[in-house]
Amino acid sequence: MKLFWSFARQNFHALAAYRFDFLLRASSIIILMYGTRWLWVTLYTQRPGAFGVSLQQMVTYGVLSMAIQNLFYTDPPYYMARQVRTGAIDLDLLKPLDFHFHMLARSTGEMLFRVCVLALPGMLIGYFLFDLQLPANWQAGFFFVVAFLLGYLVSFHLGFLLGLLAFVSIEIHSIDWAFQATARFFSGQLIPLWLFPGVLGFLADILPFRSIFFTPLSIYAGVLQGGAVARAIGFQLLWLAILLSISHWLWRRIQVRIISQGG
Amino acid sequence: MNGMQLFFRLIQISLLSSMQYRANFIAGILGVLFWNVINLGLIGVLVTKFTHLKDWTVWELVFLYSLWILGHSLYGLFFSHTSELENYLIEGSFDQFLLRPASPLIQLLGGELQYNEIANALIGLTGISLAYAQLDLQWNGWKWGFLFVAVISGSIIELGINLLVACSAFWTGRSRGTSFIVNQFYSLVHQYPIDIFGTAFRVIVTGLIPVAFMNYYPALFLLDKMNRNSPGWWLSYMSPLVALLLIGIVAIVWRLALNRYSSSGS
Repeated sequence: MKLFWSFARQNFHALAAYRFDFLLRASSIIILMYGTRWLWVTLYTQRPGAFGVSLQQMVTYGVLSMAIQNLFYTDPPYYMARQVRTGAIDLDLLKPLDFHFHMLARSTGEMLFRVCVLALPGMLIGYFLFDLQLPANWQAGFFFVVAFLLGYLVSFHLGFLLGLLAFVSIEIHSIDWAFQATARFFSGQLIPLWLFPGVLGFLADILPFRSIFFTPLSIYAGVLQGGAVARAIGFQLLWLAILLSISHWLWRRIQVRIISQGG
Repeated sequence: MNGMQLFFRLIQISLLSSMQYRANFIAGILGVLFWNVINLGLIGVLVTKFTHLKDWTVWELVFLYSLWILGHSLYGLFFSHTSELENYLIEGSFDQFLLRPASPLIQLLGGELQYNEIANALIGLTGISLAYAQLDLQWNGWKWGFLFVAVISGSIIELGINLLVACSAFWTGRSRGTSFIVNQFYSLVHQYPIDIFGTAFRVIVTGLIPVAFMNYYPALFLLDKMNRNSPGWWLSYMSPLVALLLIGIVAIVWRLALNRYSSSGS
């Protein structure tokens, strides 16, 4: 655990060097929050009944989604692709610690850094300028944090699997595009999944992506309550277990392959 | 060799080199197609639920989206690497542009052909054709001509904005952060009609970062949504002028930037 934090901390400090860059990123979040708020207000005035939730809940969902959008997709998949391409990956393999663990530590450091400089300021600005409401009660706030962390882990593992592809295909740019697009659609990042019709709604329900944005956001906005919260978190745990085992198994196979190539 | 010939020669070299990696070539195109399908899918989900967005119906929104992506694809195909300028400046490789006996701007522009953008162009053409049929539009020759001009202007506007952003690196060292902000405006204007947003936003995307001239204003005219009683109706015709204006500003800024340039020395 100490090792984990030392890697996480190291990456945190490495990122803090680019402060101005993050300031500009933070401003771009404001634009997105502004756009989202107007979109939902416009649609709501048009047909108040069609949402199934109140305008406050809808705006809270959308604005919060923009505030936390930078937390989920961290650098490790690209790091892995870079290391494979340049051949520097052997240095990572020489380190006396599990590679999977190392990536998780790097990613977590980056995520925590973004929480401090992007998400928390973003939420404050959202609260003062864009009608982002506080959670209705402490349970909603607490389970939001739990669901967020689980969603983060799901997202990390999807990214890790994507990064493992780099060992096979070297170039992951195009696949990453397709992956990001799918995730954007099915995670409920832009449009909450309860607005999805028929088959799309069904697909969104069974795919892992909804763990990422939809579950934490709808818990926060109070759309999911009581038993539904427990079921949603159970679903996240289930997918996390599946992705964790696949990652583990795949990494083992790839590791063996690399060694045999090198021998 | 004059500037134009040189530009196309550079582009030709770049195309030949990227054709070497065929699998990547195809994957790239599929990736872009998929990205658009998802984006349109999101708009589709919204509009099936709400039937329209303010007074824009689903096919009008498709038209708006397609007009933007068509202009963007032309820009992207030839010029998307202008954002690399900051890296050239930091690494000091910009010096080589100055040493060669040709305009540095032409050398920068002719760097790379982003073939993925062919997929965006296809999406744009398909979208506009479908919307044309579905909306039962009956355009005369003038309107077809205007569509053509609007697409060209759109790509020039994007080039102008992005070059200005890239040139800011001559003064600040980095332009990535600024382009990050500009990209947010692009994506909002690309997907939604700007009349759903507040006045501040509309002023910015009209006067400051004139992205709205890539799709919203020309679409108002092309889709007969222009209201001659409202102030500013004439903005619908202004895209070509905005494009010319931007070219002028870029020319001035580029000259200032070159005068200011001192190599990073590495």
